[in-house]
Amino acid sequence: MNKGKPGFLAGGLTLLAFVLLWQVASMLAPPATVPGPRELLERSITVYSEPDSYVVVWDTLRRIILGLTLSMIVGGIAGVMMGLHRHVEAFLDGWIMVLLTFPAICWAFVAVLTFGISDVGPVFTTVLIVFPFVALNVWEGTKAIDKEVIDMAKVYKANRHLIIRKVVVPQLMPYLFSSLRIALSLSWKIVLVGEAFAVGSGVGRMLLFHFQDTRVDLMLAWGVSFMVFMVLIDVLIFRSWERRAFRWRHQVAT
Amino acid sequence: MASTVVHVDKLTKKFPVPGGGEEFVVLDAVSLDVKEGEFASLVGPSGCGKSTLLNVIAGIEEENNGSVTVYPSAQSTDGTVHVGYVFQSARLLNWLTVEDNIRFALEAQDVPREQWRDRVGKYLDMVGLAGQEPNYPLNLSGGMQQRVAIARALAIEPDILLMDEPFSHLDEITARKMRIDLMEILERAKTTILFVTHDLREAVYLSDDVYMMSTKPARIFRHVKVDLSRPRHPEDPRLFDMEKELVQEFFAVVEQQSQ
Repeated sequence: MNKGKPGFLAGGLTLLAFVLLWQVASMLAPPATVPGPRELLERSITVYSEPDSYVVVWDTLRRIILGLTLSMIVGGIAGVMMGLHRHVEAFLDGWIMVLLTFPAICWAFVAVLTFGISDVGPVFTTVLIVFPFVALNVWEGTKAIDKEVIDMAKVYKANRHLIIRKVVVPQLMPYLFSSLRIALSLSWKIVLVGEAFAVGSGVGRMLLFHFQDTRVDLMLAWGVSFMVFMVLIDVLIFRSWERRAFRWRHQVAT
Repeated sequence: MASTVVHVDKLTKKFPVPGGGEEFVVLDAVSLDVKEGEFASLVGPSGCGKSTLLNVIAGIEEENNGSVTVYPSAQSTDGTVHVGYVFQSARLLNWLTVEDNIRFALEAQDVPREQWRDRVGKYLDMVGLAGQEPNYPLNLSGGMQQRVAIARALAIEPDILLMDEPFSHLDEITARKMRIDLMEILERAKTTILFVTHDLREAVYLSDDVYMMSTKPARIFRHVKVDLSRPRHPEDPRLFDMEKELVQEFFAVVEQQSQ
């Protein structure tokens, strides 16, 4: 970990510098256009001292979890199938490319037209946008599986279940983890957009509401605090989970 | 008379050549028998189908013609055949500890769970890695990784242990130590071995029986018995003489084939 320290320090310092600069800019700009970090913090406290806000956050979180899970499942299966079977690869290759290039905003409109005002819209939009990324990643991972250890497992007459559990999945783990983190960073933003368009609840809805109200400060309070929340999930849950899963790589020789 | 563990009868194996055309014959009516408790080596130049023969015996490749039979030895307690395999590289599961790597083979072979702990301890000790159970393979040297692979193969208490140039990836000093240790291990484990190598010296030092293979045709052209008592000394002049003699035979065969 020592090797990364100067990088962390530089990252932290520039972030701090940015916050200071932002504070200065907000004090020079006309009020109500650029709220400063201090003001934002105050608004955030106001927002979260309201118990109803947690219901709003939970609504959004629920959609993110659902969209993320479905994206990982659909993308994971598609990726593995593409890696294993050449005709599936040929078939899905084109579809994945089309989905990757299709504008997100179009899906959001399609979702509104198809599902109306409901929970399904943002989740549907998320899955369609996120799963191709997951599939692409897992596809690469499946192609990179070491065939030699699979042969070893077959020589020892390991059954299919044992091979998948102890030989295949561990080799896919790095790809699954990077997929999961990409998927999280994409899906929360998509869910917010989807909520602004198609649902009468959630953080996205609050953003739209405060925007229409020209309360930039409250809008940013919701947006920035939610971003921080997502970063914390990534750092505290996903990264430490990843570190634990890859202990075998980092252990120092004894 | 010891009973036969592996019986290979006129085994032929062909591989299709990409783009069609005549098939490539890697094994051409190869026959050999390995008796219980015996150390047999198969020596030949690279690409003569030695590894393919092991793969057919291990059941991961199919024969085109002829037959391969593995019989349960006196060691087999459950009447089924257990085949151990040590590859050129260790082929360990790097994400599992040393102990779990051996347990993987035991689980795959349906060894009763209550025996796992004893077997892991016993065979790690035998290969000189006692106490390494909780370590991960990437923390071990190449030689130690190969020892884990040997312990994994021995732990299933195989009727036949197949070894495919297991020391060719190691430096000569380490390889030498491994050969000496392998002899000692086998004294204790009493395993039947079919060993593949391109190193005649290694073959005569380790084996009771040496089968020499040529490439075209891919056949066994000579079967030599090495009647030297054990333990053997790697510097034994009789081994050198034998090696010299067999190398000359190899050249004679190669010469004949090129004419």
